[in-house]
Amino acid sequence: MLDTASRTAAGGQRSPLRRPGRRTLTQLAVIAGLLLFAFLAIPQLLSLYYIDAMTQVAVYSVVALGLGVLVGRVGLVSLGQVAVLTIGAWVAARLLFATAQPYPLVLLEAGVITMVLGTLIGLPALRLRGLYLALITLMLAGALTVVLTTTNFPNGGHGFLGYNGSTVHIPAIRRPSIAESDPAYYRYAVVVAALMFLLVLVHIRTQPGRAWAAIRQSEPAALAAGINTTLYKLWAFALASFITGVAGGVLAGAVHYLYSITFPTQESITLLAVVLMGGAYSMWGAIVAALLLQFLPALLNNWGVSADWLTILFGIGVLQVLTTAPRGLADQVPKDLARLGRLLRGLRRRPAASGSDPA
Amino acid sequence: MIEVADLTVRFGGVTSLDAMSVTFKAGTCGLIGPNGAGKTTFFNVLSGFVRPAAGTVRAFGEDLLSMVHFRRARWGVRRTFQTEQAIEELSVFDNVAMVHEQARLAGASRRRDVLGAISFVGLGADPSARVVTLAAGERRLLEVARAVVGRPKLVLLDEPAAGLPNEETRHLGEVIRAIPEHTGALAILVDHDMSLVSACCETTAVLDFGKLIASGPTAGVLRDERVIRAYLGTAEVL
Amino acid sequence: MPSWQEFEPFIVSGLALGGVYALSGVGTVVLYQATGVVYLAFGAVGALGALIAWSLTNAGAPDWLAWLVCVLVSGAVTLAYGMVFGPPLARRDPLVKAVATLGLTLVLFGLMDLLWTTSGGQSRAITLPTDNGGFTVGQLQVTWTQVIGLGAGIAIVVVTTVFLRYTKLGTAMRAMANDREITATLGVPVRRVEAAAWLGCGVIAGVAGLLLADLVALDATTLTFLVISSLAAALIARLRSIVGTFVAAMAIGLIHDLLTPIQSLSSYRDMTPFVLAAVALLVFSRHRVISLSREEA
Repeated sequence: MLDTASRTAAGGQRSPLRRPGRRTLTQLAVIAGLLLFAFLAIPQLLSLYYIDAMTQVAVYSVVALGLGVLVGRVGLVSLGQVAVLTIGAWVAARLLFATAQPYPLVLLEAGVITMVLGTLIGLPALRLRGLYLALITLMLAGALTVVLTTTNFPNGGHGFLGYNGSTVHIPAIRRPSIAESDPAYYRYAVVVAALMFLLVLVHIRTQPGRAWAAIRQSEPAALAAGINTTLYKLWAFALASFITGVAGGVLAGAVHYLYSITFPTQESITLLAVVLMGGAYSMWGAIVAALLLQFLPALLNNWGVSADWLTILFGIGVLQVLTTAPRGLADQVPKDLARLGRLLRGLRRRPAASGSDPA
Repeated sequence: MIEVADLTVRFGGVTSLDAMSVTFKAGTCGLIGPNGAGKTTFFNVLSGFVRPAAGTVRAFGEDLLSMVHFRRARWGVRRTFQTEQAIEELSVFDNVAMVHEQARLAGASRRRDVLGAISFVGLGADPSARVVTLAAGERRLLEVARAVVGRPKLVLLDEPAAGLPNEETRHLGEVIRAIPEHTGALAILVDHDMSLVSACCETTAVLDFGKLIASGPTAGVLRDERVIRAYLGTAEVL
Repeated sequence: MPSWQEFEPFIVSGLALGGVYALSGVGTVVLYQATGVVYLAFGAVGALGALIAWSLTNAGAPDWLAWLVCVLVSGAVTLAYGMVFGPPLARRDPLVKAVATLGLTLVLFGLMDLLWTTSGGQSRAITLPTDNGGFTVGQLQVTWTQVIGLGAGIAIVVVTTVFLRYTKLGTAMRAMANDREITATLGVPVRRVEAAAWLGCGVIAGVAGLLLADLVALDATTLTFLVISSLAAALIARLRSIVGTFVAAMAIGLIHDLLTPIQSLSSYRDMTPFVLAAVALLVFSRHRVISLSREEA
């Protein structure tokens, strides 16, 4: 949906043969409408409990978006995105305690530092093939889990780690002065999330987006077309890490107190599951994923139903997506199946495509 | 001019290319041979996907093998693959423009160059149409367009007409034949369709089991006994 | 730096742990070679078996029955998964197949937390009768369970090596690892061979689950994600070499436990498998050239 619009619009800018159609305008209207609804209506409609959940949805929609770019656009599976989120939260918390910098600046710094770390880790890992890349991110997430449980989050102490073990009264992580209350902070989170989505959209519609599409299709063909695949993969990693780092900063302010996110490994797996279910390719999918991950559990919790049912659901969802809904996942058009598909298509003329697109 | 000297490629125990030495002088050159002869391996060496155990390739005076694979496109190597590689979710225009873009050619001339390449191959589809809506023949033409846009020096075509009906193959042949004149590049065509090869290529080289067994003017090569025997097996007629 | 005596007990525990990692790792490698699936649900399946065994023992069932059921359940679940989800995914990228097993992991994990919840703060433990007996080597106490742990690791290496090389089924598995389609055209009953591989792997998972539940902890989360440690050993062996997996697993187990008495590093020792695997993967990938053909392990 969103993607068809952006591609059509891109086509419009590049070649005057096609004007931005009614479809694009409708899309934009829908997005604007939803944003307004999220911004204005939701704080009025929901209780504080659910507003908090929606703040988490805003945060995790960005994380899901980052993973979606990696999995859906480039074809790289990372099982460490929640670990990246945790790094972002850690950095932001440290900066918020140690400095009096304005919030947007802290978010930006958290994003940049996380981006640098994510890229450094990504650099050697990118030479690995799909399966091994996924496994190495799993390993690194596991390692980070251990580090976090051992080192603790910053709590206003001094030194690099910013952790004072003997503090009795742990200070809360501050929030921006314009967004102290929960509903106000929710709106703040929505704005930040929207900006991150915009950043990703710009990427997808321009050169990196096209290069990623080529890489996902076939790495040899991309190289033969002159694309420096390592560079673009790194770029995807950098983008995903940056926005996830920013999301981590927002998370820090949302929860006020960071305890060790106990199982980044498990959460990363669940994140991948919901991203696959929501649709890794579509930007709407990221929002669906976040709703699955953060809103549904809040709902179930309120109704006294165990969140374990969701875990089971997500597991089934993954299996279903991978076996029966091929257009939900990027890397599941493997070379042989794709060849088979094209061979079949070559034997009969294809009807004009409808607006259908993956998931 | 492409000068290949003693090119040898080994995969495990198999020698895919065995001290291959040949010179492609100019124009459109054919490269034929039975299945498994090493033709695609040769292309993969030129593309930089396979590192040879020995040998050199000099293209227009430059050492091709010392270039990093993705930089060869910038230098001027273009290639089509046996399986379609057009990017489905992008438009026809974007597919071709991407090659132009990645080859670091001037943005100002991009639209002109891209539309020019599209019309050169005779692709009638709307440039802003998504590739997923194109038929097989049109996709093949699109790939040739990607291979000729900008300022290519070496155009490698790997069975570009596979699966196409006669009429479209004939049209493709005319396009391929015109590539050197239109772009100044040297084109190498790998195919099994001998009529296509005869129609497009002035000269042809023949590989069998990784060895070069013949090269020269196409008509003569196709009548060469060794070539015929390679294709038909070693049946001796007493 | 602690003294030799302080290290000694950890050598024993490290060897036992390494042995069980080897058991898990070899099971993973064999299944991967036969089916192309990296069975990430290995730990979860073993945990399920262990928890069922615990429940049975708690309900008064004899030990041997509980263990048998544990192994059967792990085997059955794995076999069922392989038979249901193996065929539709058979031609897909190994990455897709691996991610699919993550789906199974989540299902099992949710199920275990639902049925054997830990939110009440209760902890469970499995004690095998071999915990109580043992012998002493010098100053060291060695329990029979630890011997079994190490022994299981060694045994699986020997058994699978012999099995793969000398039996018809084993040869068939090796052929399939090489090329599934060609093996099928040779008349090898591919699906039956795969079923055997899945079942075998599941059974191994059950045994490993029991041993780890005893040696480490009977906790769904711990056991489920402990698979990552044995996976690390398999990865270091490039998902190919059985002996390599054994060596790597022993190294991981030993280093992990030997770090315990070293104050400054002790709390980081759980990082051992991850760090080793990450380093190994990066070292092995240094000379990658673009591959156009099928995945190699």
